[in-house]
Amino acid sequence: MPDTDPPLSIEVDDVTVAYANGHTALRDASFTLGAGTICALVGVNGSGKSTLFKSIMGFLRPVRGRVRIAGLPVEASRKRQLVAYVPQSEDVDWTFPVSVWDVVMMGRYGHMNFMRIPRAEDKRIAHECLERVGMSEFQDRQIGELSGGQKKRVFLARALAQRGRIMLLDEPFTGVDVQTETAIIELLRSLRSEGHIILVSTHNLGSVPEFCDQVVLINRTVLAFGPTEQVFTEDNLSRAFGGVLRHFRFDQSTIQEHDGRTVKLLTDDERPLVFGKDGHLEYTERHGREELVKERAKEAGEQ
Amino acid sequence: MTTLLTPFHYEYMVKAILVSGLIGGVCAFLSCFITLKGWSLMGDALSHAVVPGVSLAWLLGLPFSLGAFVAGVLAALGMGWVRNNSRLREDAVIGVVFTSFFAAGLLMLSLHPSNLNLRTIIFGNILGISDPDIFQVLVISAVSILVLALKWRDLLLYCFDEGHARSLGLNTRFLHFLLLALLSATAVAALQTVGACLVVAMLVTPGATAYLLTDRFGKMLIIATLSGILCSVTGAYVSYFLNGSTGGCIVVLQTLIFLAALVFAPKHGLLVARAQRRAAASATA
Repeated sequence: MPDTDPPLSIEVDDVTVAYANGHTALRDASFTLGAGTICALVGVNGSGKSTLFKSIMGFLRPVRGRVRIAGLPVEASRKRQLVAYVPQSEDVDWTFPVSVWDVVMMGRYGHMNFMRIPRAEDKRIAHECLERVGMSEFQDRQIGELSGGQKKRVFLARALAQRGRIMLLDEPFTGVDVQTETAIIELLRSLRSEGHIILVSTHNLGSVPEFCDQVVLINRTVLAFGPTEQVFTEDNLSRAFGGVLRHFRFDQSTIQEHDGRTVKLLTDDERPLVFGKDGHLEYTERHGREELVKERAKEAGEQ
Repeated sequence: MTTLLTPFHYEYMVKAILVSGLIGGVCAFLSCFITLKGWSLMGDALSHAVVPGVSLAWLLGLPFSLGAFVAGVLAALGMGWVRNNSRLREDAVIGVVFTSFFAAGLLMLSLHPSNLNLRTIIFGNILGISDPDIFQVLVISAVSILVLALKWRDLLLYCFDEGHARSLGLNTRFLHFLLLALLSATAVAALQTVGACLVVAMLVTPGATAYLLTDRFGKMLIIATLSGILCSVTGAYVSYFLNGSTGGCIVVLQTLIFLAALVFAPKHGLLVARAQRRAAASATA
């Protein structure tokens, strides 16, 4: 990357988006993201997640407010291909006669000449990106012949090949096996350490505290925005989900004192979101969060 | 043996065979994009919507591909406009717009009786094609081939993932219009060979056949184009012996190849699917 590039950021400033039929999908939405973050975009279906994505990509023009990418209007940022988009699996035609290699190569189109003839450099980058998502051995497969997780990884490779430093992922974990989910999260973390901005739309609450450092909660507008610990409160979440969250209260259940902390929580395909005493957000791994554990113990001891 | 060569003794037959082959090839190449984009119905609509353009061009003394092309593009824009500004579904919009255009064309032709024969427009008349018409077909084909050769990768991406194309900074509105323009232009050219009624076969069947036979776009283009050329050349040639409609012969041949692909395709054919179902059933039994 040339060092003349402005610092990376997404600024959504007071954005209101209305469709031609008069439906206002998003009203007065504002938040700002700086370089090196994984941010979750959380909301129910129809809360305006995809509208927000489309405004960031410049497909929808806000009736009020503005979106700026790295200090540039979206049109200018599109010319620089700053924003790469990984679509939802349902939005892709999997019977289309293209191979994994073809799809990753499409990520390079913006860097190619008028006739889109790949140079050696484009091929090298495509190979490297396939390698990075661990899909090199599948490069000649037709895209429909892949598993859900593999499909996702191909489109991640395409976004990597595009060299967009802002990545928008639409529901990346639906239909994905646990191994791929871990691999994707690992990849996103390494992109974050390279200074990328990653915005992930999801309704899978449990996975958010595991890998997102920031959260934008939306329901037709931005309800809350900030670090995960501050935004992910029961109060905010029930506002975002209109009180429709399913829950399991340990203190009202048949779990007794003697079960202690041996209680095991299983879920089908979504990770559980667990709140401790006083509504503290709980994480699956103690390891790496020693500070937090100590602090909580101190709080509890002092009371 | 000599009887098999008789068609080549007639200049009109040689012309018909060559021109059909050219049009068949160009239409078939484009058909890959049309079938993948899901515009087959649009192709049918456009080929009928060009009729008023043909009549009007004749009345004004203009080359009739020009009139047809303008009418085709107007119809496409009209469909886009009605769809965006009403609550109707796309198929209803296409149905309303193309029949309106076709009816206007019929009306114009019947009010101004001319030597422009309605039969020629609807069923094509490749055997009687005039040299200026051949010239028009050559120009249309050359331009279409050039544009497709230069921009096929962009059009492929546009058909596959419009959002991604847009996020890369490709002008998708231009690509949309380009594909429509190519569709109208080739529909006009194909009008000459098979007529308005059967144009859609030239613009859909080869692509549909090739789609059943391969999972690679490059191969799909080759299979479609070869089958398009082969069917058109053979169809025109055979029509001499059958003394039947050239358009009919060409399209029947295309259909036969399509049916063969539907049944015998190595990966997506009906026979393979049946064998796989059997294998699955015996494996679980």
